Amino acid sequence: MLRVIGLKLVRLVPVLFLVSLATFFLIDLIPGDPAVNMLGADATREEYEAVNKLLGLDKPITDRYVDWLSNAVVGDLGHSLRLPNEPVSDLLQRSVGPTLRLSAMALGMAFVIAIFLGVWSAQAAGTRVDRLVSGTMFGFISVPTFLAGLLFIFFFVFRESIPRWLWLIGVGLIVLRLAYLAISRLAEDSADVSGWLGYAIATFVVAGLLFWVFVQWPDFPRTASHRYDDNWREQIRSLFLPALALALSEIAVFTRLLRADMLSTLQEQFVLSSRAKGMPVWRILFRDALRPSSFSLITVAGITLGRLIGGTVIIETIFGLEGLGKLIVGTGVIPKNYTIVQGGVLVLAVGYVLLNAIIDISYQYLDPRIRRGRV
Amino acid sequence: MAADTSLAPDTGYVAGEVVDPLSHANRLMRVTIGLIGGVAAIIVGLMVLTDVNAGYRVLLTVGGLVLLFLAIDSAGKLIRGPLFETGLWLSVVWVAIVGLSAAFADFLPISEAKDASATIFDGTPTLKRPDLLSAHPLGTDRQALDVLGGIIYGARVSLQVSVLAVAIGILVGGTIGVIAGFFRGRLDTGVGVLTDSMLAFPPLILLLALASVMDRSPRNMAIALAILGIPTYIRLARVNTMVFAEREFVLASRAMGSSRRRIIFKELVPNVALPIFSYAFIIIAVLIVAEASLSFLGLGIQRPDPTWGNMIAAGQDDFDRHPHLVFAPGIAMFLTVFALNRVGEKARELWDPRQANL
Repeated sequence: MLRVIGLKLVRLVPVLFLVSLATFFLIDLIPGDPAVNMLGADATREEYEAVNKLLGLDKPITDRYVDWLSNAVVGDLGHSLRLPNEPVSDLLQRSVGPTLRLSAMALGMAFVIAIFLGVWSAQAAGTRVDRLVSGTMFGFISVPTFLAGLLFIFFFVFRESIPRWLWLIGVGLIVLRLAYLAISRLAEDSADVSGWLGYAIATFVVAGLLFWVFVQWPDFPRTASHRYDDNWREQIRSLFLPALALALSEIAVFTRLLRADMLSTLQEQFVLSSRAKGMPVWRILFRDALRPSSFSLITVAGITLGRLIGGTVIIETIFGLEGLGKLIVGTGVIPKNYTIVQGGVLVLAVGYVLLNAIIDISYQYLDPRIRRGRV
Repeated sequence: MAADTSLAPDTGYVAGEVVDPLSHANRLMRVTIGLIGGVAAIIVGLMVLTDVNAGYRVLLTVGGLVLLFLAIDSAGKLIRGPLFETGLWLSVVWVAIVGLSAAFADFLPISEAKDASATIFDGTPTLKRPDLLSAHPLGTDRQALDVLGGIIYGARVSLQVSVLAVAIGILVGGTIGVIAGFFRGRLDTGVGVLTDSMLAFPPLILLLALASVMDRSPRNMAIALAILGIPTYIRLARVNTMVFAEREFVLASRAMGSSRRRIIFKELVPNVALPIFSYAFIIIAVLIVAEASLSFLGLGIQRPDPTWGNMIAAGQDDFDRHPHLVFAPGIAMFLTVFALNRVGEKARELWDPRQANL
């Protein structure tokens, strides 16, 4: 076991080395002189030399890399090339928080919605509900994140009555369906209380809950500007739309994956024996079948983190959230502030590699079947 | 037989005879009602009720489109049997329309979509609402440039860039992958570390990093997107090569004394090519989104060349009042990406024997 983990960690070393190399020599890809490229043609000689010194371009290439790497390892990623020349690590530290909160919320929403939809459509495989869910998920995959963000702004901020009434109609249909089920069970055999009582309770609970949302419909802000003294309700309200936009394609990927795995789990003997014992459907689905069906979901969640990170860049720009992505684009790429681009890209890439390694290793503990597999 | 059909999943991939659940007369009725109702609703929604609230018109048009889809679905199932995949064929048609109009954009009667100096003095209204029967079917933008024209020229840029990128990716990534998969050993380990490092950058972040240092021309964009796709192609080619290298016909070829080159080019490449090509559609879709995202952030191809991304970016400023500036290119892009994904999924199903293990 330890040997497997060790091997995985050893494999990380050359990858991280190449990542650092690529990030560092990004500047050398710039056609022409980086300082001229950055400052334009009408800067003074002193300004050019200052930038060259900040970038270390006056030293030989190997020295530059060794200097940069040894500084980067202890957390010094150089200074911003624009006034007031703040340390890059300070800027990064300040913007990591909003990005983490946004991604965590998006991932959380994606998991909750995908588990619900995936389990439901696997249980109802082949029915109209299943086909509707599968079709919608296929559509979700094809919506680019920036389009999703703009759509949500349009419908939830500018035309907020549309989703609100759609919600009411959808909820009404679900409640009617539940009520119909309860009443038909009751008419069938009113003595069998367990047959209809569940549906009756579900009808009232769902109706109450969803109607409450309709009444309480929150006023989503156009920009998710994020103040630290805001209470958690404010934070959730302002992050809801960006997180949902970010989660959209993850929901689709997770749902499709979970549905497929769930379908094969539901064919297993232990599910059959559970059914034979007369366990309620929800118990079979969530207690017995969900865990063995969720392994590839976890792996894929690791892989899709890359897309999620890319998505945060776009979503932060659209919603005006001061996160890592906005820092890289707005303060880094657009004004050609190369040290910020370098620092930001390095942090994101290393974070992504390490997260995937952690998932990879924890996977060994979760699923005993692959412990002896090839590394 | 009865037990068989009840167990079979309702996906349409059942072996043997499949019976249409609906009767012939029922299908015919659906075709007629759907065609008449759908076309009527679309015409009324788009062209007749020009001074009614836009929301109702959109609702009516969407309803008409749904009816029309059901009619086409029934017609297809009547003619080609119940396994007819309507969505797939409509996707093929859409990809063809986009591809052809992008290719022949110069011959289409579209109004000025690029040069803002040409529209200043000729009296073209700015921010015109979409009106299908006018010279600007999808309206005009802030500079009186035609939105439909922008979408078509944008499609040209998007397709050119991403198809070129995929071609480079297949060529470079495929070659490296086949070599790594065939020779294995240390070379393979090295290639593995290289692909792992390339995949260590979240895709859009890699693009951003490249965009920060290079000129934003379509050619550079294609190269950047190709770099994004190469590791995927290396992995695909490597894994497929390893699978095929184990097969009997390769062993037979080896036993007959074929050179390595002959085995690679005559035995492996023709077999590996098909599964690799089957991913092209999906990767083109991914790259179209990546290119649009970059243009949207203002880091891709710049005006005056319209792209879907930069059109949407320009339209987002007050799309509260002029939603067509975002929705028209947005819907075009969504449909294209959706259609490419749909076609790509089918291509993989047909051509990639081991898609389930990836």
